[in-house]
Amino acid sequence: MQTMPILTIQTAEKLLSALEDFLEKSEAHFALILDRGGIILSQHGTLPDTADTNVVSALSAGCFAATRELALRVGETECSALYQQGSSSHIFICSIDTEHILVTVFGKQTTVGLVKFYSARTTKRIAAVLQEIRNGPGIGGLFSKEDLNGAEELFVR
Amino acid sequence: MSIINYANKEIQFKVVYYGPALCGKTTNLAYIHSQVDETNKGELVSLATAADRTLFFDFLPLNAVVIKGFKTKFQLYTVPGQVIYNATRQLVLRSVDGIVFVADSQWDKMEENLESFQNLQDNLARQGMSLDSIPYLLQYNKRDMPNVAPVHYLEYLINNRGRRVNSFVAVATTGQGVFSTLNAISRLLLQRFAREAEDSVSKNSRSGAATAATTALTGVATSPAPAALRR
Repeated sequence: MQTMPILTIQTAEKLLSALEDFLEKSEAHFALILDRGGIILSQHGTLPDTADTNVVSALSAGCFAATRELALRVGETECSALYQQGSSSHIFICSIDTEHILVTVFGKQTTVGLVKFYSARTTKRIAAVLQEIRNGPGIGGLFSKEDLNGAEELFVR
Repeated sequence: MSIINYANKEIQFKVVYYGPALCGKTTNLAYIHSQVDETNKGELVSLATAADRTLFFDFLPLNAVVIKGFKTKFQLYTVPGQVIYNATRQLVLRSVDGIVFVADSQWDKMEENLESFQNLQDNLARQGMSLDSIPYLLQYNKRDMPNVAPVHYLEYLINNRGRRVNSFVAVATTGQGVFSTLNAISRLLLQRFAREAEDSVSKNSRSGAATAATTALTGVATSPAPAALRR
């Protein structure tokens, strides 16, 4: 298992604040910060009721990774953003740092140019918070091996 | 990569089911999805071809037990088993926390099992990881087929690294062994997490920073609610 990042209440609030500002300025519906493995760090806004944010994050991470690899195969080393244009909802995915991406869902009330513009600022802000998380103290005292005793089945059926 | 979220009181892990084509990786996830309680699972997403062959990955988010007030969540992925999709297998392995290697027990699949196992090691190495550092288990699937190798032969063939791991027999189509495997890999990850937490506390104690650091991390004055282990 790789070193485990810890999202404290303070850093979680900073990430959320960055997303709140971003959505307000860009007029997008929904924004999500995830790592490139598909794990969600923070989210803000609304998606249709049918959308599962876990699924959105997994698909976004896969999509971004696949496109980046495709770019590398055709000789392009830079692949920092991806744009999916729909008829009413659009998705913009961009790189925050080497390990994290920002996913934005927006509609007709805004434009991809505005989303891109504010994404650029927001990703810098988020990157600073993520650096803070990386520099933070290690995990400690959450639970011990004894707390797992007695639980034969970990999943409710 | 797993993450601890003190704000949402969640710990998340990523588990990848790996193995040769048509060994039963997707079947494992489909069975799990059919059995887990509605409130503890998300949608099973399968990016597959028209012939139901996994093209990119299958994905299933699950909630597991609550420990010390923290919800434990597992994201299960499968990789495409066909040889041509190696590039996409590498992408799915990104930030993996635990692996279930599913082997096809049939005699004529042994070479594919070995190639896939070696492929797993090669793909992990590309990301600076190895099976020495990642918790993993073996599942010998399709035990119901007529021409299967004995388990001890599969153990000899695949579970022969310096560190032998737990293995499980399975018939994923009926569910036999599926939850045993899932519970085992989940416990392995949680135990490893608990061990790393204890080591971290020991280090912090030696440096005299334990209590203040933990309080700062949680941001709460009182300790979390008692654990509720749901069965």
